[in-house]
Amino acid sequence: MTYVFAAKGLLLAGLSAYLLFGGADFGAGIWHLAGRRDSRERECVEHAMGPVWEANHVWLIFVMVLTWTVFPPVFAGVMTAFWVPLSLAALGIVIRGSAFVFYKTLPQHRVFAWAFGISSVLTPFTLGAVAGSVATGRRSWLSAQGLYAGLLTVVLCAYLAAVYLTWDAHRTDGPAGRFRAYALGTGALVGLLALPGAALLGVRSPLLLISAASGLVSLTLLWRRAYVAVRVSAALAVGAVLWGAADLAPLNLDASAAQDTVLQAVLIALGAGAVILLPSLAWLYILFQREPRHQGP
Amino acid sequence: MNPADFAAAREQMEITLGFHIVLASIGIGLPALTLLAEWRSQRTSDPAYAALAHRWAKATGVLFAVGAVSGTVLSFEFGTLWPRFMSTYGQVFGTAFALEGIAFFIEAIFIGIYLYGWDRLSPRAHLLSGVPIVVSGLLSAFFVVTVNAWMNQPRGFRLVGGHAVDVRPLTAMFNPATPPEAVHLILASLMVCGFIVASVYAVAILRGRGDRYHRLGFAIPFTLAAVVTPFQLIVGDWAARFVSAKQPVKFAAMEDIARTRAGVPLKLPGLEIPDGLSLLLRFDPHATLQGLDSVAPADRPSTPVVHTAFDLMVALGTLLLALSAWWALTLARPTEAGVSRTLPANAGNATGQRWFFRGAAVAGVAAVVAMWAGWTVTEVGRQPWIVYGYMRTVDALNPSGGLRYGMYVVTVVYAVLIALTIAVLRRMRVTR
Repeated sequence: MTYVFAAKGLLLAGLSAYLLFGGADFGAGIWHLAGRRDSRERECVEHAMGPVWEANHVWLIFVMVLTWTVFPPVFAGVMTAFWVPLSLAALGIVIRGSAFVFYKTLPQHRVFAWAFGISSVLTPFTLGAVAGSVATGRRSWLSAQGLYAGLLTVVLCAYLAAVYLTWDAHRTDGPAGRFRAYALGTGALVGLLALPGAALLGVRSPLLLISAASGLVSLTLLWRRAYVAVRVSAALAVGAVLWGAADLAPLNLDASAAQDTVLQAVLIALGAGAVILLPSLAWLYILFQREPRHQGP
Repeated sequence: MNPADFAAAREQMEITLGFHIVLASIGIGLPALTLLAEWRSQRTSDPAYAALAHRWAKATGVLFAVGAVSGTVLSFEFGTLWPRFMSTYGQVFGTAFALEGIAFFIEAIFIGIYLYGWDRLSPRAHLLSGVPIVVSGLLSAFFVVTVNAWMNQPRGFRLVGGHAVDVRPLTAMFNPATPPEAVHLILASLMVCGFIVASVYAVAILRGRGDRYHRLGFAIPFTLAAVVTPFQLIVGDWAARFVSAKQPVKFAAMEDIARTRAGVPLKLPGLEIPDGLSLLLRFDPHATLQGLDSVAPADRPSTPVVHTAFDLMVALGTLLLALSAWWALTLARPTEAGVSRTLPANAGNATGQRWFFRGAAVAGVAAVVAMWAGWTVTEVGRQPWIVYGYMRTVDALNPSGGLRYGMYVVTVVYAVLIALTIAVLRRMRVTR
């Protein structure tokens, strides 16, 4: 029972990390598309995403592997029921990642930028629609709940990215004012979408209040140009939406949990892995939040 | 279940895995080649090494990214195409994937640090930041292959009422097929990477670009592949003997043994050596070998496919071995003073050498085809089972209708993706 609890916690942590880091990369792709006529905005996005997007993407693999190992029937059930949107998401992920490196290699070919931008919108939409359908117990991602969750996810990703990019742009003399405006706009939009949605879906959790409060704090911080602090409060506001949805999901995880020997092995493996992984990840983020130390080749 | 959906699901796996396996192979070897070039460039200050290191790092960036996302497609497909396999057995082999996930995570982190860290780290730290990429690349290959090995030699569980119980994850991971399969695949991936990269420079040399940059660009990867190839022959023999002992029906399909008998001939294209196979396998011309007739027709894999693929793999492997030997002789030839030991300055001019480089130019494609053929032997040879002896592939299928439409879309997307990956790498070469 304690193992199952730990596994559930890890799964939620992995999902949160994917939303807060991978989701922000989707959002960055959306701003790349929106800023396609402005080279300063595009460069800021590319500069911020380049070194980290592959590592951020691995959180999705982490979530999938953990689900099929620890809750195999849940994984199989979701994949069977939602194989169409999930196949579309998989294709979106392939097109997006490939288009991004192709564009970085041959920037004169604008078709890659378009492919990257469009798949950055569609992929989080499909993933969000599936998540929303699972959370509300719908069998079709084209239900009102699914479509709402897809839209909300896209806006959440765009919001997170705008918040993160504001500081990146500020630090590198980029268009910080522009991203700040984007963050304020999408932040307000998130509130307008998420709060009535949560009320309609019957979310009674205190997480709703946490999300709303952090959202308001974030808008204030953005207004006062506290670009580092707002990263934390915005992440909390977005994370609380996910936790609220997870709280809603009618999944019987306890009944579909793998045996204790498996849970134990996975937890030991991940614990040992974290010893190497977390410092490496911290180094990656810190390294590219600093300025280059000397001009290289 | 619609038979067209079943066929489509298998085809989709072939396309997506066939693409990923090549990228993953290059993803294992190319970072090692890049580090070698960077290390030499730091030691010798030779600009050719520095140019190669940068070139290969750039190619690694493109290929790793495409490889990472194409690998993600596979994890989706496990569930969207074969959910019943995952539902019943996900917990048995999942630990290996969790370990693979960690290794892949570390790889992705250090790829970012290495590729974007040239001007943020000291030369020494930059070189060292590449080492985890190589180590975790090898480890993730190992962990993934343990799962395929487990599908061939399922261990570490009992099946009670359709549920896996008494699960022992480590026993599943270190099943009997793991050692031969893992070593065989890792060597194959190094061969694919070495021969592919070398073939690019072989073409350049044939076109008259025999400068030091191109000669080194050829010599480093080709030497790696040439060193690995003879070992692969030995490991391949070990793997085949393992299959004959543990999966005799697969082996019967590989060697086209229709019925169980003594003194089995060795069947080669257009040639049959009496008692040859019995002699090769058991060192006894009269040894009895199990044939396909030992199991019901429904339990047999497709012999024409498996047998042809096996012969093709062995034939290509042998040709690559001959080419490797030729290269060893080229290197062993006494060198004149002042001429680079790695490769004569007039490389590609003499007639004999031109033939060598023509062979080397196609060796990359040959190695890829050999790898595909070997993978076909493993996968088609295991049929009709997805978990050998426990679950049939057809029973693992997603019961939702319409899977074939997914396959059509995937085919189109991958055709474009393959064409673009090659086009981008080629264009990158021109715009050096």
